[in-house]
Amino acid sequence: MAKELEPSRDGRKRKIRYAMLVDLRRCVGCQSCSVACKSENEVPLGKFRTWVKVIEKGRYPDVSRHFLPSFCNNCAKPICNRNCPVKATYVRDDGIVMVNMHRCIGCMYCMASCPYDVRYINPLRKIVQKCDWCAHRLDAGLLPACVETCLGRALIFGDINDPNSEISQLMSTNPVVTLKPALDTQPHVFYIGADADAMDPTKGIDIDHVHFHEPY
Amino acid sequence: MDVGSQVTVLYNAPHLMPFQLPIAQYFYFTGLSAGSFVISVIAVLGGKVEYKPLGRIGAILAPLCLVLAPLNLLVDMTQPLRAWHLMTYLPGYVNFKSPITYGVILLTVYPISATIYAYFVYSNNHKMSKFFAIIGIPLAIAVHGYTGFILALGKGRALWNTSLMPTLFIVSAMVSGIALMIIMAIVRNVFLMKNATAEERQKDAKLIHGLGGFLGAAIITDMFLLFNAVLVILTSSKEAFEAAHLLLWGKFSMEFIGIEIVLGSLIPLFIVYYPKTKNSFKWLTFASLLTMIGIFAMRFTVVVGGQSVPLH
Ligand code: SF4
Ligand code: SF4
Repeated sequence: MAKELEPSRDGRKRKIRYAMLVDLRRCVGCQSCSVACKSENEVPLGKFRTWVKVIEKGRYPDVSRHFLPSFCNNCAKPICNRNCPVKATYVRDDGIVMVNMHRCIGCMYCMASCPYDVRYINPLRKIVQKCDWCAHRLDAGLLPACVETCLGRALIFGDINDPNSEISQLMSTNPVVTLKPALDTQPHVFYIGADADAMDPTKGIDIDHVHFHEPY
Repeated sequence: MDVGSQVTVLYNAPHLMPFQLPIAQYFYFTGLSAGSFVISVIAVLGGKVEYKPLGRIGAILAPLCLVLAPLNLLVDMTQPLRAWHLMTYLPGYVNFKSPITYGVILLTVYPISATIYAYFVYSNNHKMSKFFAIIGIPLAIAVHGYTGFILALGKGRALWNTSLMPTLFIVSAMVSGIALMIIMAIVRNVFLMKNATAEERQKDAKLIHGLGGFLGAAIITDMFLLFNAVLVILTSSKEAFEAAHLLLWGKFSMEFIGIEIVLGSLIPLFIVYYPKTKNSFKWLTFASLLTMIGIFAMRFTVVVGGQSVPLH
């Protein structure tokens, strides 16, 4: 899909680059996004394209609870795409990283390479799937299901190449962070007000007793 | 107050571990193949008559292990009937940036060249076997080295994402390959040389003892590389430290310290260099078996242990 914007004031055409902004000041941790996604994308039992990680920290009475809504970051330098041997994973012009279900051989190398653990094997179709920001809805002119359903309006989705979009304006005027920026995958899910402990995968768990889901 | 120690994860959704036992087995068999091929080539290029049996054993083991190896991948894929998609070699269909693609090309070329090599070794065509030996060496090293790249380019996993991986894999392939060769050579000497003269058997035994020394050298190199790897991951990133924790005193310490280091490296090292044991076939067989188990434990800890640090 090669949607292009109208020429902007400087006369140059810009490509669309979609991104997601999670404003955690507005997130209440209700998990509606997880549910909306499951229903929209028929995500099988036990698998999630999007979910909200929840942590608690502190010692009574100084305690707090933090949320981390999680999606595929649709990275600008996606290591999953670089490593997929059969080009089943590919990148659209608007930056969305897709999996072609007719090409995926299920080698799971993308799952092993992705630093964010967002891919899963669909036990019914026997291929890899992940969040694609509801590309089918975007093509129909709708917003992703999670964004549409978010009751606190904590999820802001849009084109960061368009300076007038809500996401561009919010990102220009607020401090934003991404997950694991040091890996240079260039994630395109941005967070306002994310908690460092929630973003740290090794915090709050007993690493010797982590439970990994059974294979499909 | 250290707030960090007061964190509890209430809810998260980890996905399945993608690379499991079949992948570790695949790495193990390609390692065996590459290792025995290199020893065979060294024997053939060495050119002496008494080296010949080694050349022959390795020439058979290499293609054999390489038939077993990709079977593990077929079992592991969720769409095995689409495996041919990998072998179209068309730029539009295959991603030439992926280490798996390097692997597919190598796994096509190397077994063919190794089989031709075996044919010439057995038909005593010295010139041609030398030619295919020289072609085969870089292929054999690459076929195992690329598996190191598969892990090294999995950049999310701190244990894998080091430039040491390919070298470590090649060296451990040598270790397991030499061990397998020793066992096979001893089997041949004990069971298949009944009609040979005492002098011939003596010469053969000497050769096997020489291989024992080789094995020791390979184990020392392997342990040196492991030491480097561990020292660095102990001090680099947080995820890397957690991986080191899992291997050294956590969930995988039994496999890593117990089986790989003590059983699979230190004890065999002692056996192949201690004067009272180094010339005994029984002890050498024992040491080789331990080494092979140790290298399997290494494949397992690297593959499964590397993925046991949560990512999200
Ligand atoms: S988050 Fe993972 S699956 Fe998504 S684009 Fe980035 S590397 Fe690929
Ligand atoms: S599992 Fe599918 S999408 Fe992932 S790397 Fe393999 S072929 Fe590509």
